[in-house]
Amino acid sequence: MNTIAEHIADFLKEYPPFNHLTFVELSIIATSIRVVNLEKHKILFQVNDLLHDSFYVVASGVINLSVIADAEETLLNKCNEGDIFGLRPFFAKNNYMMTAKAREESIVYAIPIATFRPFVANNAEVLNFLLESFAVNTRNPKDKENLIGKLISDNVFYSDQQSEMQYFQTLSYNTSPLKTNSSAIVQEVAQLMTEALKNNIVVCDNNIPLGIITDADMRSKVATGRFPLTASVAKIMSSPVITVLENVSLAEAQLLMLKYNVTHLCVTQDGTDKSIVKGIISEHDLILAQANNPGVLIKEIKRCQSSKELKQIRERLTDLIQTSISKNIPLSHVFNIASEINLAIIKRSVELSILDLGSPPARFAWLSIGSQGRKEQLLLTDQDSILIFEDVSADKYREVKDYFLKLGKRTTATLEKIGYELCPNGHMGSNMLWCKSLTDWIKQYDSWMNTPGENSNDLSSIFFDYEITFGEQKIEDAIGNVVFKNAKNNTLFFDFLGNDALRKNSPLTFFKKFNVEEEGVNKDKFDIKTRALMPLIDGARLFALYFDIRGINNTFQRFKQLSITDPKHAEIYLNCAEAFLTLSKFRISEGLKNDNSGQFINLEELSKIDREKLKNALAPMRELEELIKGKFQLTQFS
Amino acid sequence: MLDWLKNINKEHPEFWKNYVSKFDKKSSRYVVLSTETSGLNTDKDFILSIGSFAVIDSSIIIGDSFEAVLLQYKFFHDNGLSNEFLVESKMKKLGEPDAIKAFIDFIGNSTLVGHHIDFDVEMINAALERLDCGRLKNEALDIDVMHRKLNDINDKQFSLDELCTAYNIPKNDRNSAAEDAYKTALLFLKLKSRLGIK
Repeated sequence: MNTIAEHIADFLKEYPPFNHLTFVELSIIATSIRVVNLEKHKILFQVNDLLHDSFYVVASGVINLSVIADAEETLLNKCNEGDIFGLRPFFAKNNYMMTAKAREESIVYAIPIATFRPFVANNAEVLNFLLESFAVNTRNPKDKENLIGKLISDNVFYSDQQSEMQYFQTLSYNTSPLKTNSSAIVQEVAQLMTEALKNNIVVCDNNIPLGIITDADMRSKVATGRFPLTASVAKIMSSPVITVLENVSLAEAQLLMLKYNVTHLCVTQDGTDKSIVKGIISEHDLILAQANNPGVLIKEIKRCQSSKELKQIRERLTDLIQTSISKNIPLSHVFNIASEINLAIIKRSVELSILDLGSPPARFAWLSIGSQGRKEQLLLTDQDSILIFEDVSADKYREVKDYFLKLGKRTTATLEKIGYELCPNGHMGSNMLWCKSLTDWIKQYDSWMNTPGENSNDLSSIFFDYEITFGEQKIEDAIGNVVFKNAKNNTLFFDFLGNDALRKNSPLTFFKKFNVEEEGVNKDKFDIKTRALMPLIDGARLFALYFDIRGINNTFQRFKQLSITDPKHAEIYLNCAEAFLTLSKFRISEGLKNDNSGQFINLEELSKIDREKLKNALAPMRELEELIKGKFQLTQFS
Repeated sequence: MLDWLKNINKEHPEFWKNYVSKFDKKSSRYVVLSTETSGLNTDKDFILSIGSFAVIDSSIIIGDSFEAVLLQYKFFHDNGLSNEFLVESKMKKLGEPDAIKAFIDFIGNSTLVGHHIDFDVEMINAALERLDCGRLKNEALDIDVMHRKLNDINDKQFSLDELCTAYNIPKNDRNSAAEDAYKTALLFLKLKSRLGIK
């Protein structure tokens, strides 16, 4: 006998799904409830938190459900009295995908899943309600219609960046539409459409669109008997057609369809209905285009069974990057998304190798180094990676190392097939030198950092940009600790890195002309990678190590973070961040144009404005150089 | 003053020894309680009902509760009162000794919380004395004191209703020890987080 439990049961029975349960059942549930008070702005759970053992009912107050993307909070839903939320533990095992935060001081009932589950199993209505609540797709969080009946979604498929990308994609559509002339007879045209399996046909006069006939016209005007089968199509066509220019984006197309309440758009040469028909965009094309977004790509990567399939996806990524660049999506976003996809591809390649070779004999970590380690790989540049496995007893060592070398070889071969060239310097997990045990790696980093310059001709600064792709996070952490421990007050090491950063030849001549290649196949071209990007990348890395900035590998973000950590020189860092993006963009457009790594820019092809822009982007580098010279005593190695 | 001398050679009942032994460890459990009494005189009046809930980790555990109506036959008889409302109640009915024993088992070494808790504690102590037991050993927190501390008020006492209004806790017409205990528990949660008590 518990008076308060009965009061709670009284409260619950007013709200779905509890209204499907009897009072006795509710009393049992209420007895197991925990009552939680949340202060204003208190977070109950947030994205990536482990699942709780309960779900929640708001007893009083308001709880906001939101997703945080790019430091911006997007409100998905507001839960008022009687609303249920936090249903994720019922249906999924992975962590929470949203944040629940009290908008005002609130009281919530926590109902243990274990107690509630039997009632769900025995009651179809309750189960349905929970399933619906969970499955409501709030892709558009403002879509209130989805929330009828107090359904509150827990399964968010929502990301700011992704939807943005997707809306600016160009569409692929039917470029050889069915055409007919205005004197054709309805029955013949219907036959034509049926044979071609199309739901539309354009009525043209000399390829100039006069109107369009869709299934809907056939249904409403012919099948109803308003016009005979022998009528001419001119009588039943919808006219005029809504016309658009060739490279219309998904967003525009969607807007136009909504605005004119049509299902098809006609693409013409100059976008008016007085020019030649180029194609037809149907609603179906819009749906297809939405399927070509980064989230879907990553999902598909996880299902790939061969390097061939992965290669196709990598090609679609190139398309995605290309359209994003041409649509002026911020480059930092593109970097983020592309690196996630690259990461997924490498991860899947390692997985495929493991599937072939059998499970590994020891724990290990596959780290991407260099550009992918910095999350800056947009083009198909070469692959750099290292493999670290945990320490094993001496008698097992050979066997274990053999396994991992095989794993490395197989993975790099897969990646090569996908299109990532092998690293010419052999910086890969398949190389004897770069596939070793944790202790050996720690020794390696120790010797690199404490005695730079001695027997370490093989030291390449790319080893200090690493990102775990597959395996044990702890191993990466161990390496990180070694690096930052050794970096502390290590003047010699910074001396070495500083010189390394400054050694690159300056991009401009004394007369402020571009320093171009003097000979070779790339004669008269500007080496943007070595002369412009590398100094910025090296500088960012140098300062990041110096200021103990961990976990940020991206050059752009490193500069941003540096401007916060070292506010005295914030202006220089911010200029460098901007310059880095501008230069990257030059390199990427060059690379996309020629299907290569974009290292050499053909200056002749640039417009005068672009050349000035490029020159301006080189200016902050000088300031950065001065800063490096001032900060570190570069005497030993210069 | 010399209570401890009076009790020194007295053999305590088994449940009391058990209760005392629980204090070897410290508890993170709170027990929020409220009693209904026949009056305000700790010597002459009796507890009529007890309602209480456990609070663990900043949440009220509805299942971890204790509610009982005490059948004070002798008291009603002596004062010529009707005990009809007690008999009619659907609540668990216990005689005072059984109720106090069960309640002592329930609270264990938890920190007690209540509204003007010292009065409740005194009432329970009086009942314990009748059972040849010592006094309660639990630490106790008073939500009125907590509220005054939070707002730096020294010259005024607040009733449970006033506190509920101040902290936006819905009042209802049902009045019972359990109801009061629940409201007190909600107030406690709010005050606890505001004062930063773990």
